[in-house]
Amino acid sequence: MAGEILKRKGREIVIFSALLLGLLPLAGMDIKTYLTLTIAGFAMGMMLFLVASGLSLIFGLMDVINFAHGVCFAWGAYVAFSVFRYFKKLVEAESLFQNSLVFIIAIVAAILVVGIVGIIVERVLIRRVYGSHLFQILITFGGMVVLTELIRILWGPNDEVMPVPVTFRGNWDIFDIIVLKYPIIAIVLGLFVFGVIQIVLKKTKVGKIVRAGVEDPVMVQAMGHNIYLLFTAVFAVGAGLAAVGGMAMAVFNLQVYPGMGDAYLIFAFIVVIIGGLGSITGSLVGALIVGLSYNYVAFLLPPIAVGVNILIMVVILLIRPTGLFPAGK
Amino acid sequence: MGELTPVQAARLEERRKRFRSFPFFLKIAVLIAFLLTPFLFPSFKTVDFMLKIMIFTVLVASFDILLGYTGILSFGHVMFFGIGAYSVAMLIGKYGSPTYVNLVIGFMIAMGMTSAIALLVSFLSLRVRAIFFAMVTLAIAEFAIILATKLSGFTGGEDGITVNMPGIFKVSFTAGTLLGIEITGRIVTYYLIFLICLALFLLMVRFIHSPLGRVMQAIRDNEPRAEAIGYKTFAFKTSSICFGCLVATILGGLYVMWVGYANPESVLGIPIMLDVLLMVIVGGMGTLYGGLAGAAFLKFAHTFLPDLQKVTKSLFPDAVFLHAIMERWLLIFGILFILVVFFFPKGIIGTLQEYLRGTGFKKPARSAREG
Amino acid sequence: MDKAILKVEGVNTYIGQHHILQGVSFEAAADHVTVLLGRNGAGKSTTLKTIMGLLPTSVGKIYYQGKEIQNRKPYEIARMGIGFVPEHMGIFSSLTVEENMQVAMLKEDSETGKRLEMILEMFEALKKFWRMKAGNLSGGQKQMLAIARAIVNDISLLLIDEPTKGLAPIIVNALIDVIHQIKQHTVIILVEQNFYMASSVGDAFYILDDGIVVHSGKMAELVEDKALQGKYLGISKTEG
Repeated sequence: MAGEILKRKGREIVIFSALLLGLLPLAGMDIKTYLTLTIAGFAMGMMLFLVASGLSLIFGLMDVINFAHGVCFAWGAYVAFSVFRYFKKLVEAESLFQNSLVFIIAIVAAILVVGIVGIIVERVLIRRVYGSHLFQILITFGGMVVLTELIRILWGPNDEVMPVPVTFRGNWDIFDIIVLKYPIIAIVLGLFVFGVIQIVLKKTKVGKIVRAGVEDPVMVQAMGHNIYLLFTAVFAVGAGLAAVGGMAMAVFNLQVYPGMGDAYLIFAFIVVIIGGLGSITGSLVGALIVGLSYNYVAFLLPPIAVGVNILIMVVILLIRPTGLFPAGK
Repeated sequence: MGELTPVQAARLEERRKRFRSFPFFLKIAVLIAFLLTPFLFPSFKTVDFMLKIMIFTVLVASFDILLGYTGILSFGHVMFFGIGAYSVAMLIGKYGSPTYVNLVIGFMIAMGMTSAIALLVSFLSLRVRAIFFAMVTLAIAEFAIILATKLSGFTGGEDGITVNMPGIFKVSFTAGTLLGIEITGRIVTYYLIFLICLALFLLMVRFIHSPLGRVMQAIRDNEPRAEAIGYKTFAFKTSSICFGCLVATILGGLYVMWVGYANPESVLGIPIMLDVLLMVIVGGMGTLYGGLAGAAFLKFAHTFLPDLQKVTKSLFPDAVFLHAIMERWLLIFGILFILVVFFFPKGIIGTLQEYLRGTGFKKPARSAREG
Repeated sequence: MDKAILKVEGVNTYIGQHHILQGVSFEAAADHVTVLLGRNGAGKSTTLKTIMGLLPTSVGKIYYQGKEIQNRKPYEIARMGIGFVPEHMGIFSSLTVEENMQVAMLKEDSETGKRLEMILEMFEALKKFWRMKAGNLSGGQKQMLAIARAIVNDISLLLIDEPTKGLAPIIVNALIDVIHQIKQHTVIILVEQNFYMASSVGDAFYILDDGIVVHSGKMAELVEDKALQGKYLGISKTEG
């Protein structure tokens, strides 16, 4: 009987309990802290979404595990770092327009550079190991090591402070609640990207082909579409998305360091597993869950913050091995 | 005595051939090398080097049981090594005293923990796809490292736990001289570890060639079919995973006995997991002996790479970029790793085996994705 | 006899270690529906997949309109004017019927538009459920969609793999009508185990067994030859 109810009202129950869990931390803190953490959690979630969405799509479409995805994240951050350094004047100007301009330049540069790196990686490394997850893991793992070391060679092995455009710093005071400016910007950016991706996937022909490919790449080929070109393109886009995520995270944390890809790779995997492969919506939901829970738990019980995410991931894997929003695979 | 069935006859013939073949003599030679090291090369550095190769050989072989023979990629293998290490360290160090009894208890506790966790792990592998499993184990391994580092009250944090060995294993112990070499606690420990490693390795070989082991390979090659034939794949997988993990745990304890400390970086770290992975690939997946080749190769590389850097610097004093690249030996490693995976996917031993069999070596078959 | 649209010569295909096609040769003539018959595992689906480039062939040649197409990429072959309806239909369940058709259409010109209109006249259900997720269609409707996708482009050859599998007899009859309409301007190679379907639409037949062609001829003759039917198609004497 309970099983029946669960099946029919499953979705509602999940949303309800999620909301309940979301409000639970209030028990351990005052409302101001709660709101600050919530915003931080959403912001982190958005940045994780950027990294995870690429991973999810690549896996969903190409059935490829890419351990080098985290490095794209790091490269994005470093490219932005260089852009900010180069356009120092724009970064330090008091003008919102100039700050936004340099921010956009950084985004474009990050996407271009990392996108090209992504294309090279896909054609040189990944193409040869389609079909074998083990070898993909090994190869992309090697790629990860090489690319990380390249960061150390090109930019130096130390942690660097990330410059932040002037008008993005600081906070707003809303009803006595201190709201940091940058997280809001990150959230807006994330939502914008989500919107763009959804439009491309749902309304454009290429997007439809990609969605079809996630379900049945062989059939798509048999219908006359060059699936390999598609793979390369999606890989590059995925890498570009990770780059933007990396850049956003660097500004958020005010630092870049060569190993930053690794830490967030784990998070990205957790998000993809929770959200479901090949699903952009799943990546968003998963990312928000991870971001929020991490921030709440980090405040309440610091040592087990990462552990909680892993716990959630394991629980979801046990209940629904395909993730929350599996995309037809 | 009755007639032999064809299978029995074939096996008997195989066994007879084995003891007379080239690989067999090679193995004996290697064994003798390890056995005589403390006497032939008494310097501590060499003995330490050989011992670490020994331990990693068996560790990589235990990982190969999971990866090459059962077909399961788990990034958490080093975690079990760490459990053994920390357990022993805690029992004879932090929370106990250096006695033989505590030593044994340390091992027992570690093996108990490992069995429990390995069971959970294998249950998880049953539920989820291979790739999820790999990622989950990676996450859990990272989590274990964080725990070990953060719960410093319990685990000694980043510095870890230092221990002294009991009785005859104590560094300062002496039992006179034999063949011109002083028998110290170190030597005793070396031989104990040697014996246990040998025993574990032979056990693993036996396991692979046993009926149980053959079922494992059937499962690895075609699981649905194995199930259809009637094997409870879960039970087999579980026993295989538990076996591999237990071996790793024992090795962890042995490692602590030799180096005298246990900290997150040396017994739990991801770099060690990567080393093991690299060794398994370079040595050869699905060939237990690959562990030896891989471990030796990597340890040699680790030790002699700084010298290689010096040589390059002196030969090309002006090539600054070359210096930069050599400095980042990890970069070279990474490129080497990729090249090995591409061109020698069967590893050193695997390629050698194919060569000896006369089939020559082939690139990995790329399966066409069919509708 | 008219020049063959498709010629298959001595094709050998391996799936893994298994030597599935051991030298298949046949022709699909223009204005004909050529049926490939045979037991399970004889290699019929494998043949279609090999023609479509989804499986590599180690030995042998495939000629389409005089050009060699063996071992080309599937999307090249599709663009040369060959449509494919696989055994599992290959419907994109999470896409709507409309989106399925959009992915199928290689050109957005008026010709394609006209063909689409005709198709929707033929398959009314598709028109009705145009905006619905394809996964929610019934089995017969999915089959219609699969065929619709394959014929919306300007194709000269249509490969269909066991369309009647798992479908109710009334749908089978509907399919027979559809095939009759399509065959008027497209050469069809049909793989079928359902003899009723095969004999209703087929003009020429080839029987495959263990990876080679063991018998061929005109469908009309096969219908009369119950002994042959029994030998290769497992149709007992009491069936028809």
